[in-house]
Amino acid sequence: MATDTPTADDAGDDLPLPTTVASAAVAAAVLLPLVWLVRTALDVGLADAIDISTRPSTVEVFINSAALVVVVTVASVLIGVPLAFLTVRTDLPFRRWFTVAVSLPLVIPSYVGAFAFVSAFGPQGAFQRLLAPLGVERLPEIYGFHGAALVVTLYTYPYVFITTRAALKSLDTTLIDAARTLDHSRWEAFRRVTVPQIKPAVGAGALLVALYALSDFGTPAIMQFDAFTRVIFVEFTSFGRDVAALLSLQLVAVTLLILGLESHVRGNEPLYAGRQGGRTGGTIRLGKWKYVAVAACLTVSGVALIVPLGILLSWLSQGGAEVGRSLAFRPEYAINSIGVSAGAALVAVVAGLPVAYLAAKHPTRLTDAFERATYVGYAVPGVVLGLALVYLGTSYARPLYQTIYLLIAAYVVRFLPQAVGSMRASFLRVNPALPEAARTLGRSSFGAFRAVTLPLIAPGLFGGAALVFLTTMKELPATLLLRPSGFKTLVTHIWTATESGYYGHAAVPALILLGVSGLSMLVILSQEGYDVK
Amino acid sequence: MRNTRSSRRRVLRLGGAAGLASLAGCNGILGGGGGGGGGSEGGDGGGAAGQIGSGRSPFGDRNISGTPMAEMPDLSGELTLYSGRGEPLVGQLITFIEDLYPDLTIRPRYNSAAELVNQIETEGDGSPADVFFSVNAGALGALKDRERTVELPTEALDMVPDQFHDPDGMWIGTSGRARTIPYNTNELSESDVPDDIFAFPETEAFRDAIGCAPSYSSFQAFVTAMRALNGEEETRQWLDGMLELGLQHDYADEFLVSQAVADGELRAGFANHYYIQRVLAGRPDAPISTAFTAGDAGAIFNVAGACVLDTAEDADLASTFVRHLLSAEAQDYFARETFEYPLVPGVDPIGDLPTIDELNPPEDLDLTQLSDLEGTVDLLQDVGML
Repeated sequence: MATDTPTADDAGDDLPLPTTVASAAVAAAVLLPLVWLVRTALDVGLADAIDISTRPSTVEVFINSAALVVVVTVASVLIGVPLAFLTVRTDLPFRRWFTVAVSLPLVIPSYVGAFAFVSAFGPQGAFQRLLAPLGVERLPEIYGFHGAALVVTLYTYPYVFITTRAALKSLDTTLIDAARTLDHSRWEAFRRVTVPQIKPAVGAGALLVALYALSDFGTPAIMQFDAFTRVIFVEFTSFGRDVAALLSLQLVAVTLLILGLESHVRGNEPLYAGRQGGRTGGTIRLGKWKYVAVAACLTVSGVALIVPLGILLSWLSQGGAEVGRSLAFRPEYAINSIGVSAGAALVAVVAGLPVAYLAAKHPTRLTDAFERATYVGYAVPGVVLGLALVYLGTSYARPLYQTIYLLIAAYVVRFLPQAVGSMRASFLRVNPALPEAARTLGRSSFGAFRAVTLPLIAPGLFGGAALVFLTTMKELPATLLLRPSGFKTLVTHIWTATESGYYGHAAVPALILLGVSGLSMLVILSQEGYDVK
Repeated sequence: MRNTRSSRRRVLRLGGAAGLASLAGCNGILGGGGGGGGGSEGGDGGGAAGQIGSGRSPFGDRNISGTPMAEMPDLSGELTLYSGRGEPLVGQLITFIEDLYPDLTIRPRYNSAAELVNQIETEGDGSPADVFFSVNAGALGALKDRERTVELPTEALDMVPDQFHDPDGMWIGTSGRARTIPYNTNELSESDVPDDIFAFPETEAFRDAIGCAPSYSSFQAFVTAMRALNGEEETRQWLDGMLELGLQHDYADEFLVSQAVADGELRAGFANHYYIQRVLAGRPDAPISTAFTAGDAGAIFNVAGACVLDTAEDADLASTFVRHLLSAEAQDYFARETFEYPLVPGVDPIGDLPTIDELNPPEDLDLTQLSDLEGTVDLLQDVGML
């Protein structure tokens, strides 16, 4: 523990033991659900397994899913990075308001968003009817690949936005000033200074987007797109647990492939300057471009938020004004949602901290493996993960089964990489000279971490917590399987309404979901760091 | 835009738009109106059996026959109910039963039926579930096949006609739903919809404008019925024929199919009878109506039902609870609140619905045959619908 210098050759020699043990424990815990997957998949005979894996439809849906992953990931980077830049580095009006608005699509459950898009833009949908008098005969096709890619992008780009934003917040802008004084144009300074600094964060966000697109159940089903998850869904509804588990393992294999690819791309270089801390002044003046920037922010958040809200509200006004008791909203749903989401965010940050720290500061094969392990639970569809925890809970942890504790554990297994990715990117930007200075001044190793490193990674920490919080707010499949009987959250309430066909009654809880998440975002942002304006 | 003609030889319109509006408004299909939930203030001539919910019926007072809950053994203890039926539909009934007995606690757990079967199977011996309440016979049969059910007492089984419970007594139907053909009344008239499901692939009026939800359990039950009645090959030919006709097969569930029909996105579709009613409940003026086929898989009558699990802590409590679902009050509740068919003789369906006896479901179809969904899924994948 003598040195924290993260050079590749000597980093592995001296792994801090307690942190390593903690990381290993976290990695082992999040891999436990795989036990059930393998066990159940083994029920499929070998011949059947080969047959299922190689049948033409399986191959075809794999290709479909791959295309969806690529398009959604690229589009999310193209939307998320500029938005992050605008809200952090420019004098965009209403910056904090926009920060919240463009983050919020993350809390819209994909099945609500996709359903709303079909209702709005489908043939004979609300917009078609609206535009019919103007002579618009037919809107572009919303079903299929285009629609699925559009909807998944709109509800996942915030991953890139939030992680990139955290990186930009802790970016040392004196570097950019230096580049500018060295005759770099603004673009060159961005390319040569900012891009390398934010690349790990963008990569972390893009990875989350890619794996989400791979494992999303709801959107492909509603957008009538034959993705891989749809095949798994079909098996589950026909009680084919074993085949579903086998197919899920294939999904895990693809995940490992994507993780491997990303490892190659992202690199482990430390990214810090000689001095660090709080030099994020000197925002870029947008001038006339302000209006374009505002319009862009409004368009993205507007399309993603207003379409589903508008559709839900229109249903609410159209009929079913009478709300039965089981569909009546109760404040405890919101309190339950916030409680479990905050719990999951807290546990995820605490559990993710040693993993992210080691992966960034002591990059070895082992610490990389720990970090990559956290992504497996995230890439497994929620219902699969939920059943895996049903098995683990009833077999080995009866007292915890169908309690809040196992539910929060499920959320952490599902969403841990969101915290890890964000924090790892922050650690990479911490100059080891700073905690070392604290050590020479007499601080203990932990004391130096608390006094120096922690404040420096605060934006990444809060960014990660925000991601876990927002996605837990909307998590449905694992919630339905693992919640205590009678425990209701905003999203189970939305599900109760939509599942029975009372879509109008999803409007109120959906609005509250957005409102509560928006407020929580404001709280998180105000805690984000020392230099929040 | 043609108006619907008034011929009602075959097509039974389930109540006019205005009637449905008042039905939705007054009777609270959304889970009950303003009245007290526990009140039993109904049926003047109904003796001991009262109505659950508001107690107001737009169709006037009903005489409820059947066995009232008061004549059943009392319930006491704790009961964990895994319900594949949604809380808006059955929550009020569950609460009513719980409130009836001071020593009874019911812990309901709501999820989709298929997921609950997966959950019960995954839980194994450690399952906390006592009773499973399912939307269809298929999920009940799946649990029976996995030997997770126990036999129900004859007191329960004798309450419904034999075709509505498992021959081995492992599960019992509690209410029924008919397969129907929702159609758009602006696009089609009643006589455009054939009454023979095998005439559908040759019906040009449906070209590129008929839809279904192949991943939805009720549609799979319909295809399963066709396989059982007409054999694998004929079913495959029918599916291929429908695909050639341009069957739109990517809807996620049958409420969406019915919505699409009401929107004019489809001219017709395949759906359970009550989805049409729910569309109309939200949009009373929607141009959608109901047609039936006769004597074939398109006219199967499936049941929602319940079974007692082998992990039930108190099997007597569990089976007595199941009997309560067949009480006069509960049967009347299903008719009024979910538009379903009561299965206990003597409790009639509500409104303009044809009676159970007037429907033409295929004869000699055992509902347990509908649990073999895997063969159906394979077939649907083979023809390219899944």
